[in-house]
Amino acid sequence: MSTEPGNHCWKRIGTWGDRSCPELKTHMHCRNCPVYSAGAVQLLDAEVPESYLAEQARHYAQAKTETRPGARSAVIFRLADEWLALPTTVFREVAPLRKIHSLPHRRDRVVTGVANVRGELLVCVSLADALGITGAGAGGTAARLAVVSRDGDRFVFVADEIAELARYDDADLGPVPATLAHAQATYTRGMLAWRDRTVGVLDDQLLFYTLNRSLT
Amino acid sequence: MLFILFQLGSDRYALPAHEVAEVLPLVAVKALPGAPAGVAGLIDYRGKAVPAIDLSALALGRPAARRVSTRVLMVRYAPPRGRERLLAVIAERATETMAKAPEDFKPTGVTSDATRYLGPVASDARGLIQRVEVAALLTDALRVALYPEEAVA
Repeated sequence: MSTEPGNHCWKRIGTWGDRSCPELKTHMHCRNCPVYSAGAVQLLDAEVPESYLAEQARHYAQAKTETRPGARSAVIFRLADEWLALPTTVFREVAPLRKIHSLPHRRDRVVTGVANVRGELLVCVSLADALGITGAGAGGTAARLAVVSRDGDRFVFVADEIAELARYDDADLGPVPATLAHAQATYTRGMLAWRDRTVGVLDDQLLFYTLNRSLT
Repeated sequence: MLFILFQLGSDRYALPAHEVAEVLPLVAVKALPGAPAGVAGLIDYRGKAVPAIDLSALALGRPAARRVSTRVLMVRYAPPRGRERLLAVIAERATETMAKAPEDFKPTGVTSDATRYLGPVASDARGLIQRVEVAALLTDALRVALYPEEAVA
């Protein structure tokens, strides 16, 4: 129970030692123990040099840079060469690619068949065709099956790659470029800068509406 | 209610967190020659000069130790007249917060004119904690020295 240098009990008998400290039974981990907290506070008793004071003074003399917390969350995925995003809330599951059973006598290209996900047959759609994106490979090792749902409507689509979750704020969205294909521009709410790319954030409401219509 | 704890000497004191706009590390303070005791000087806070008082100097007569744990509490100070402003309070060992109900603080029965900023006390496992009243922190003489434009108004 000492916080002298070299006698850190958490390294000898605590979480980072042989765990023989009787206090561990109540605290489970040294970071919950007041002895460890007291040791941490001792670190804060270090004297500060003049240069530190000057550096901090310079820092706080600057105007505060406000970083907005991202209010929205989206899943970023790829269809062919296009990086797109849909709100995280519509995603139910991302599964490994599996066989898609084609439906006979279907003419339109948006509905590509049905897929078995956890024993349930779900309608598989081609987002690329709905958005007018050509050359979607729907293959490769990075391809995944994404289950999306909104207001009780559920679809499965094949993404060529699913990258990650991104947080953003509506104010971060840039305008949709005029060069975007017409169908895709219709469904894009705005462009989001992500890594060194721009990602089209899709309007999920409009997209689901269209997908539903293509079922009939 | 959340309180920010700090120390004067070896005793602990508390400041309501809602009165604190921001906690800064110890920064360089521009001295004000001829300022009354307790006034540390001016701090350039986001481009604005904010007067700083050193609680250790004010209460104990010695300046706050230059340690990492000594911090600058930017408190919202509402003078009896005039609008609310920022006041930088340099406090030692401002490293902890504590949640406590305001009614847990009981009057001490000890008051003096020089320390009218010291409020009621509460106790916890480590002893007594006294509340510091921001509004009473500055004596009239100090207030005139720090906010001269207010004295004119």
